[in-house]
Amino acid sequence: MAVYKRAYRAYNGPITAERWRFLVLTRYSLSQLFSSRAFSWFMMITLLPVLIAAAFIYVSNNAAVQAALRMGTQSILNVDGSFFAKVLLGQAWMGLFLTCWAGPLLVASDLSNGSLPLYLSRPLNRAEYVAGKAAVLVGILSCVTWIPGLLLFALQSSLGSGGWAWAHKSFVPTIILVSFLWIAVLTLISLATSAWVKWRIVATAVTFGLFVLPPGFGEAINGVLRTYWGRVLNLPYLLEVILTNMLDTPMQNHGPFTNQQVPQFAAWIVLIGVCLASLLLLNKRLRAREVVRG
Amino acid sequence: MTATIELDDLHVQLGGRTILDGLSGALNGRAIGLLGPNGAGKSTLINTLLGFHPPARGTARVLGMDIRQDARKLRAQVGYMPESDSFISGMTGLRFVRYMAEISGLPPEQAMERAHEAFFYVGLGEVRYRKLGTYSLGMKQLAKLAQAIAHGPKMLIMDEPTNGLDPPARQRMIQLVREIRDASDMRLIISSHLLRDVEETCEEVLILRNGRVAALCNLEEERRANRKFLELETIGANGAFSSALQQLGCECAVFTNGRMKVVMPDKIEIREVYRIAEQQGIQIRRMNHRRDSLEDIFLNAMEQTGAAHGGL
Repeated sequence: MAVYKRAYRAYNGPITAERWRFLVLTRYSLSQLFSSRAFSWFMMITLLPVLIAAAFIYVSNNAAVQAALRMGTQSILNVDGSFFAKVLLGQAWMGLFLTCWAGPLLVASDLSNGSLPLYLSRPLNRAEYVAGKAAVLVGILSCVTWIPGLLLFALQSSLGSGGWAWAHKSFVPTIILVSFLWIAVLTLISLATSAWVKWRIVATAVTFGLFVLPPGFGEAINGVLRTYWGRVLNLPYLLEVILTNMLDTPMQNHGPFTNQQVPQFAAWIVLIGVCLASLLLLNKRLRAREVVRG
Repeated sequence: MTATIELDDLHVQLGGRTILDGLSGALNGRAIGLLGPNGAGKSTLINTLLGFHPPARGTARVLGMDIRQDARKLRAQVGYMPESDSFISGMTGLRFVRYMAEISGLPPEQAMERAHEAFFYVGLGEVRYRKLGTYSLGMKQLAKLAQAIAHGPKMLIMDEPTNGLDPPARQRMIQLVREIRDASDMRLIISSHLLRDVEETCEEVLILRNGRVAALCNLEEERRANRKFLELETIGANGAFSSALQQLGCECAVFTNGRMKVVMPDKIEIREVYRIAEQQGIQIRRMNHRRDSLEDIFLNAMEQTGAAHGGL
């Protein structure tokens, strides 16, 4: 197909490894996402709480700055499990906002433009398609969850007393594990709703709604049935249950029944169940050709 | 030479309905046309060959590769131009084709080079940096062709490639298809309901009706045979008329509404036909000398399978 000849020429050049070819989807999707200046700014904004937390760690470990700021007591500046729980929960919400922005862009537009046959007529299967798109969200969400979490841990370890890192070594796997659980929940819910709704704006609304509307419904159930199990519909709450249990810190006040907490195992089951349900929905919806029954 | 397509009792069921009902046969041509009325199963066959629909029973081989066992290997060798609009939103034409080529396995540099070449090849070189959303329908069809050939497949599957094109654009598409067919080893499968498109580009034809093979013919051989025949439009023609013609040594095919196709031996004169018609009180309203065309093959296949299955 030389341009000057305008004649067809077969391709006999090198071929990339099949195993990592799904990352082509990731690369192009990331490039498309970050071509929007607004998204780049938003991504930076989601990291502001991390900068504030870093400043907090710096101040809490620097007596001279504390004196300059006339801070009398150090008790409010403890960098402990509670501190990391707050930071991670804050970043979990930031991750949700990012997902609502980026997630529907990945799949909904492909489905509404009918481009799945183009992908799947190539040596790429549906699992690789999902992996390629999910890797975008995993990458972005990692940047606002476990990576800053570990950086804050490293900062505190370097600035704190000698034994701090060793005494709190369990924070590292907790930060990673809980972050990845939340990333999986956000990613799969976002991809599944995008695949079902197909319309980007509606997919954004539905994704966000799944995190903010069921908690209200759950609290209504709690109020009527005098129970606390309605909170299993509150996904951020379930994340908090797991995180605070693993970091061994108290939960925030959640109104009535605060002391009666959903068990950690139940939180795990619900969040993993949500992931599996999302995968099932994706499997049902992501087809090269839709088949109408009847 | 490996058969382009081998169908082995291929059954496909979708949504509880049988769409492809026991297709069998082998097609060896470089350019194969899939013909059939709407709902005949052309697109389903293509989708099945691409692995989008699993066969309920039987199988098929494309370029010697089984569609079940070698699906991935097969898709690496295929370029697909879908019928409907299929694009990635917000991309320029060039980026779209490059992206598709990279997914097919080309490294980024080569994909970029091939995307440029493909765009110039299909005649969209000047608009390759424009967003796909701004392309006209004809340009979109050509862009779909560009993405299908950019990675240099061994087989190109085109589903209704001239859909929605105006006559010059259609001619350009047909010309491109013929160029690709003649200038490379690439095999082509072209699904269309436009007989002219298939006749101008294909060597072999698979005609489908109600998910079954209605006819499978080699157009080249048909063209070589190139028999002359009479096309009659009559009022009152019946079995007795065709029997009488057959006794004269003619071959007859009777269609609906009194239409007939009569292949006459050289020694028989047309006046014999008039004589028999007069004897049987049959009016001959029109008589044309014609040669076999794809249209005849197609209509014949439709009539025959229509009769076999109780008509449309």
